[in-house]
Amino acid sequence: MPRLTFIASQGTPRTVDARSGDSAMQTALAHGIDGITAECGGAMACATCHVYVADEWTDRVGPSGEMEADMLEFAACEVTPTSRLSCQIKMTEALDGLVLYLPEAQV
Amino acid sequence: MPLAPVNDAVTITELIDNPYPFYRQMRANSPVVSVSAVNRVMLTKAADTRAVKDDPETWSSDDPDTPMKRAFHAHTLMRKDGEEHLRERNAMMPTFSPRNLKTLWGPAYEKLAGDYLDRLPKGEVVDLFPTLAGPLAARILADILGLSEASDDDMQFWSQALIDGAGNFGWFDEPFERVDRAHLAMDALMERKAEFYRANPDQTALSVMVNADDPIAWSQIVANIKIAIGGGINEPRDALLTVLYGLLTNPDQLDEIKRTGQWGSAFEEAIRWVAPIQVSSRRATRDTQIRGIDIPAGTVVMTCQASSNHDEDLFEDGHLFNAFRARNPHQSFGSGPHHCMGTHLARMMLGKIMLPMIFDRFPNMELVQPETVVWKGFGFRGPLNLPVRLN
Repeated sequence: MPRLTFIASQGTPRTVDARSGDSAMQTALAHGIDGITAECGGAMACATCHVYVADEWTDRVGPSGEMEADMLEFAACEVTPTSRLSCQIKMTEALDGLVLYLPEAQV
Repeated sequence: MPLAPVNDAVTITELIDNPYPFYRQMRANSPVVSVSAVNRVMLTKAADTRAVKDDPETWSSDDPDTPMKRAFHAHTLMRKDGEEHLRERNAMMPTFSPRNLKTLWGPAYEKLAGDYLDRLPKGEVVDLFPTLAGPLAARILADILGLSEASDDDMQFWSQALIDGAGNFGWFDEPFERVDRAHLAMDALMERKAEFYRANPDQTALSVMVNADDPIAWSQIVANIKIAIGGGINEPRDALLTVLYGLLTNPDQLDEIKRTGQWGSAFEEAIRWVAPIQVSSRRATRDTQIRGIDIPAGTVVMTCQASSNHDEDLFEDGHLFNAFRARNPHQSFGSGPHHCMGTHLARMMLGKIMLPMIFDRFPNMELVQPETVVWKGFGFRGPLNLPVRLN
């Protein structure tokens, strides 16, 4: 079971267990992580599950896809090269220990 | 397990006048309830409405027994699932891209909003429903869809005819006859404009769909433009009237927002407080259960986001307008694959452009006799009038 750490914008970290195959967004919702709104439920129709991937993880997580990058333009907070929609990050054993930073706001 | 308990006490008239007391009772006592007045199993808790919309495999959007197909002369993307839905939705998506919002529709709306505000008389009582909220929503939608030739009145008439037809659960003749007349006019305009856009492509919805590399069928292009007409006027109209009412009846909040510029929060709170689209429906594709209640395959449930938005589990004093809620996970744009396509457009138009503009121009706007404002609607809800004095 891969572990996943969310770090809130004020700096508070929270580590949770993810089910392999779930997205990081689904993992956040399942554990009631506050900083993920996920309005569209993973249909890639909004940008309210925006996260910043920790620098040391960006290679393994990979960059956003084309549609995702478009959608990220709707994000409420600044989009950086490490920005991803967490609904598009699929949790696998290879991502065990992943660290995601949450933006200040999603809407 | 038991089937949903039946409530045959509440009437459709009560639900149209004010459904919120009924929803509050149901959330407390009977959150999954079969309501005879609407012939549907209502879901009234936020966790349930969200779970249903996020699980399209169990919950199909295809509700076969509604007047919508008759009213729209077609099966529209609203009632489709999976790949079929996605293909039709994606056909229109480019129009609503972030770039188009930023470079085309935002500036267009700003210009229109300024023009419509310029026309409003100062110092006397004016109703903002027919003079601003309705026509402005109609105008920007016509321009974005690629139907600039349609007048504000045309758009509003077509939209209302489609809504009344789709909601004609009594299967009366008049609403269908009225929407049939609207179809004649809409079809003629769309055919003419499609011809034009084939030679002069732009970013409007009609043009984007007609000129796609692998276009969807013409019948679906037409049907989905009509969905946008039926669904794209009343929501921004009602949201604007609702947020203005919320702010004008809570002057402390208005003052604070003028100071901080949190207009977006005021917009989100307004659509939470009174969701312009109050309910949706989904059909169970298999036997399932919600909160220990059996839902047999084929059951059509009504997800009452209006109720979810007041759910005590998520919101304190949900019946009150409070633009400063720390969290506001409302469901007014829906969720899942059918998440509202106009979400970002609405947030931009109202939260970023209209609200700061209208209060900048009329800083002392006052609501005249707030008690005369009439709220109505079960499926769609908003104020029917908003008398203000602009100063």
